[in-house]
This record gives sequence, C-alpha cells and structure tokens, in this order.
Amino acid sequence: MSAADIELVDLHKHYRKGRIDIPALDGLSLTIDAGSFVAIMGPSGSGKSTLLHLIGGLDSADSGIIRVGEYRLDRMSERQLTAWRSRHVGFIFQMYHLVPVLTAAQNVELPLLLFRMPARERRKRVATALEVVGLADRMDHRPNQLSGGQEQRVAIARAIVTDPDVILADEPTGDLDARTSQEILQLLSLLNAEFGKTIVMVTHDPRAAAFGQRILHLDKGVLDRDERNPARPAAAAHAH
Amino acid sequence: MLILSYLHRNIWRNPLRVLMTGLAVGLPITIFVLSVAVVDGINRFLDNSARQLRLAITHKSSIVYPLPAGYRGKIEALDHSRPITVCAMRWIGGKVEDKPQPLSTLAADPDTFPATFPEYLTDPAERAAWERDRQAIVVGRGTAAQFGWRVGDRITIRASVPPYSAIPFHVVSTAQDVVDPVTLFCRGDYLEEEIKRQGYPEGLVSFFFAKCRSSDDLEFYRTAIDAHFANTPDPTLTQDEKAFMSQFIAQQFDLPRNLTILSALTVVVAIIAAANTMSMNFRDRLAEYAALKALGFGRALVFALIQFESLAICVSAGALGALGPWYAFTYTPLRRFTVPLIQSLDVRLAVCAQAVGIAAAVGLIAAAWPVWLAARLRPVVAFRALE
Ligand SMILES: Nc1ncnc2c1ncn2[C@@H]1O[C@H](COP(=O)(O)OP(=O)(O)O)[C@@H](O)[C@H]1O
Ligand SMILES: [Mg+2]
Repeated sequence: MSAADIELVDLHKHYRKGRIDIPALDGLSLTIDAGSFVAIMGPSGSGKSTLLHLIGGLDSADSGIIRVGEYRLDRMSERQLTAWRSRHVGFIFQMYHLVPVLTAAQNVELPLLLFRMPARERRKRVATALEVVGLADRMDHRPNQLSGGQEQRVAIARAIVTDPDVILADEPTGDLDARTSQEILQLLSLLNAEFGKTIVMVTHDPRAAAFGQRILHLDKGVLDRDERNPARPAAAAHAH
Repeated sequence: MLILSYLHRNIWRNPLRVLMTGLAVGLPITIFVLSVAVVDGINRFLDNSARQLRLAITHKSSIVYPLPAGYRGKIEALDHSRPITVCAMRWIGGKVEDKPQPLSTLAADPDTFPATFPEYLTDPAERAAWERDRQAIVVGRGTAAQFGWRVGDRITIRASVPPYSAIPFHVVSTAQDVVDPVTLFCRGDYLEEEIKRQGYPEGLVSFFFAKCRSSDDLEFYRTAIDAHFANTPDPTLTQDEKAFMSQFIAQQFDLPRNLTILSALTVVVAIIAAANTMSMNFRDRLAEYAALKALGFGRALVFALIQFESLAICVSAGALGALGPWYAFTYTPLRRFTVPLIQSLDVRLAVCAQAVGIAAAVGLIAAAWPVWLAARLRPVVAFRALE
C-alpha cells in the first residue's frame, strides 16, 4: 500500500490550432497531499483533462515542474513515462475503455502482464481487486454482459490491481445514472479511506465533487478557487 | 495465456468482416495455385513435344498460309542417308452440329501418321481400323469424354474451313495415353475427296510434321528444309515441335503471360481488401488501444495484436485457398478435368506452400498502415477525438 503526493509548479501547456494559441494550462501551481481525495471542477475547456493527463504522465507540459511522489515527470522521456504509468498510476475513464473480448477478470489482469509475477500471484491480485469493487461473482462476464456501473467497477479494479500511488479519474460518473454514480463515488471514497490512495477526480457534477476532501476550481487554465470540503475531513493523511 | 486468448478472440470480433476478408484473400490464392498448375501443365506438354524429335514445317509468312502437298515428297528426297517420315496436316477445326464447342480437328496423311505420331494408335486393332477405314478418326480422350464418344461410334463434324460440309466419321481410337487430350485426327485422303467433291482447290496442306531418327538428323533438317524452299513462291519455316507448340499456344491463348498478370492482379486485390479490414479494425478499436497504452503498454502489444490478427486471417485463408484446389485435383473426380493441351491439373504442394507464403506477405503488408498508426497513437489525442 502506497500513496504519493503531487507537486505542480508553474505549469504551461498550450495548443496551437492553426494560428490560434490555446492556453490549456496557463501557469498553474498546485500541491496535493499524499492520500487525499481531490475533486477538480470547472467549465468545459478550462483545462481539467489536460491537468489530469499531465499528472498521469500521458502528456508533457511545455514548461513547469510535475512531481508525483519521488518522480519528476517533466524530466522523463515518453518511454520512461510509459513504464512509470504501468507501476504508479491507475486511470479511470468516463467511457471505461475495457477490452470487450476479455472477461472482467482478464481485463483486470491485463496491467499485471507488465509485471514479473507468477500466474498464481496474478490471479490472487485479480480476485482481491474484484472483491474490493464487489464483483467477485462476475469474474467471467464480458463487458457487454455487465451494466454501466459494473463496467466502471471493473475499470476501477483494473486501476487498483497494480497497487498504484495515484488514481486519476476523468468524469468517472459522467455516463452513469445518479444512483450508480453514488455507488461508484462511495467506492472511490473507500479506496481513499481504506487503502490511502491519492485520488484526483475530474467532474462537473457538484454532487460528485462533494465526495472530495478538497475541491479545486479551474478556469481558463489557472486555479480559480481551492476549497476544503468540511463534510469530508482529510483523514487520509493519518492513515499510514 | 491471457495474451493468447486476447489475440485469438480479437480475430473473431467481427465474424462477417473476417469471412469476407478471408474470401478476398483466399480466392486470389486459389487463382494463383490454379494458374501455376495450368502453366506447369503447358510446360509438361511442351517438354513432351521436345522429346518427340519432330519438326513442324509451316509457311514462312504465317501459319495460316497453306503449303503445296507436293512438298512432302521433296522433303523425303532431300537426303536419303537421313530417313525422315513426313505427315501433312490439314486444319479443319470443326464443330458438332448444335454444339457450341469448337473442335480442333486435323486431317493427317494416313500412311505416315502412325509413324510420325507413334504415341497414337498403339493398339494393333485400332491401327488396323485406321488403315482400313477411310472415315477413321482418332479423338482426344478429353474431347471423347466431353461428347460421350466411344470407339466404334459414328459421328459427324462440320468443317469450319473449306469444304465447310458436315462430314461423317467413325471413331477408331480415343487416344488414352497421349499428353494432348483434345485434338482429333482424321484421314487426309478422305478429306481431300470431300474437298474435291465440294469444288474447293485441292493439294494444299496447313503444315507438315516430320519425324526424325536422331537429334542429329533433326538439327540437319531444321535448316535444310528451309534452305531448299527458300527461293520458291512458298518458302517454309521449320521449327522443332516445342518451339512450334509454344508459338501456337502463345497465339491461341497467351496463357502463361495472362495467368501471371491475372494472379498478380488478384494478389493486389487481396492486399487492398485485407489492408482495408485492418484499417477499419484499427479505427474501431482506437479507444481500446489508446487505453492499453495509457495502462503502460508500449507499442509491442498493439503491434502484436494487429500483426497477429492480419497474419492469422491471411495465412488461414491462404492455406484454405491453396489446399482446396490441391485436394480437389488430387482426391476428387475433378482430377480427371482437362484443359486444352493439358492432360490434367497437377496442383503441387510446393506451390501451395509458396501460395501460403504469398498470403503471409499479404498479411504483413496489410497490417503495415495500422501498425504505423498504432506506433504513433497517443492516448491523449485518441481520447479527445472520442469525446
Ligand atoms: N489536442 C488539442 N488540440 C487543440 N486544442 C486542445 C487540444 N487538447 C485540448 N485543447 C484545448 O485545450 C483546452 C483545455 O482542454 P481540456 O483540458 O480538455 O479541458 P476540460 O477537460 O476542462 O474540458 C480546451 O480549450 C481545448 O479545446
Ligand atoms: Mg475534459
């Protein structure tokens, strides 16, 4: 069980569309404590996804410092970032992105193929991850035999099976109904509280953001507001 | 284990698409294998011709110009120390009344035909019938099978050149043991009689075949005959039978070249079809492949997925496309199937192996574009494109 803190200093990320220069991130600085659950809100196009991709090593910034735990992502090559992702970060996407031809268990096992690990150990980890998300009885189902909420649970199991330091979720409940969303958010809270995972979640839904201990508001690529959520005191810092 | 089942299930994600692609790759492979078999057959036929020590003598200007029948005696008299058997041939082509298939009938000198073509009329009874019966006709076994003719049958063939009449014949042999299954031989004296009766010019032949005793004689006559007739109104062109036949085949069908072009074209079609499928698959699975990369998989997994899928589809389709005709022409009644000049199609396993190799190459080429796209695929870009 491990968790990482995150430090971002003066991040710039610009996109060029023809002659137009779009500042997706415009000098953003931010620190996130290890083991905290942070929600990021903001209007569409404010740079939320860009920020998440940078923290997750999926993209590189034009300038600035990105540190996740002991790793300086801004100094790593694409190859190094790829290797780093497989060990230190778990992604949860709005559209789940499961492999449709594989069973739930196989989908969860997939990231473990990047580890040197005996098959027995892999199977044990997969079973544990599916148990945590409450799908132990759906191991052999294909994604198309599962509901949207169940698919997202499988995706969460896939994200945690490698025991990453950070879990990054981009609109994880964007495609789900209110009740299922609550269940998924409770599951994320549980991962944070029980296993001390650092979680950064992008959402535009205030009810989802309310699950975070801290709610960051982005606007035009800079931090607009930084709220502590009184309803969710940050307990994770003491968890380990 | 997991990777294997992923690779395997990936192939069957879109069964209809896989089957169509399989057809588009398998059929060209079948065409390739059959083409090679046909060209092989032609070469076997030509090699047989080469062993016969026969010369073909045609008009120098064109095979369609006739030669005087009297040339036979002059050729035989060229060098008495080198005996040569000469057989005049008159082309009459022909058709069976009410049947569309054109026949290739030749009228041969009855006395020298058996000696010039010793592979025919090996049965003494058949040979006797040929010598006795002016209406005798030897029918290639393929043609005989096609029309259901047997030895002893009375048949009628309408000549497609002078005398143009419907001529009755008497089948004396169905030439079971010769390489050429289609040609028919009737007697030249009988035809000459019919030509006379219909009032067409007599004493003209289409070409001569001459059987030599040795390859040394063959070389001698190859030049001597043409030299002898060089300054006459009807100069000759003398070729060995193989050269004559390959020229004849080229004129009639240009088969080897056309088949090569045809198979090359179909292989191009196969590449296009397979490449299209692989590109469509890649586009359909963009999100999935992007997610794999996001999870920390490098190029290798997506490479392997695409390449394996392409190879598996193409090689399986290629193997079926090649072994299908091999089986059909080795173990089913189709093995008795004949094509003009060719005894039977012999589909060789070595050619099938080569065809599967071609299918594998198709698979590699078809995957090249999506593999390149996969190498450049950036999850961030792919996810944004899907939003
Ligand atoms: N690849 C790209 N090319 C051009 N513009 C981009 C690209 N990616 C993001 N942007 C722009 O950057 C800004 C921030 O995008 P994003 O981080 O996706 O915002 P959010 O997730 O908050 O909606 C937007 O204006 C978006 O149009
Ligand atoms: Mg976004």
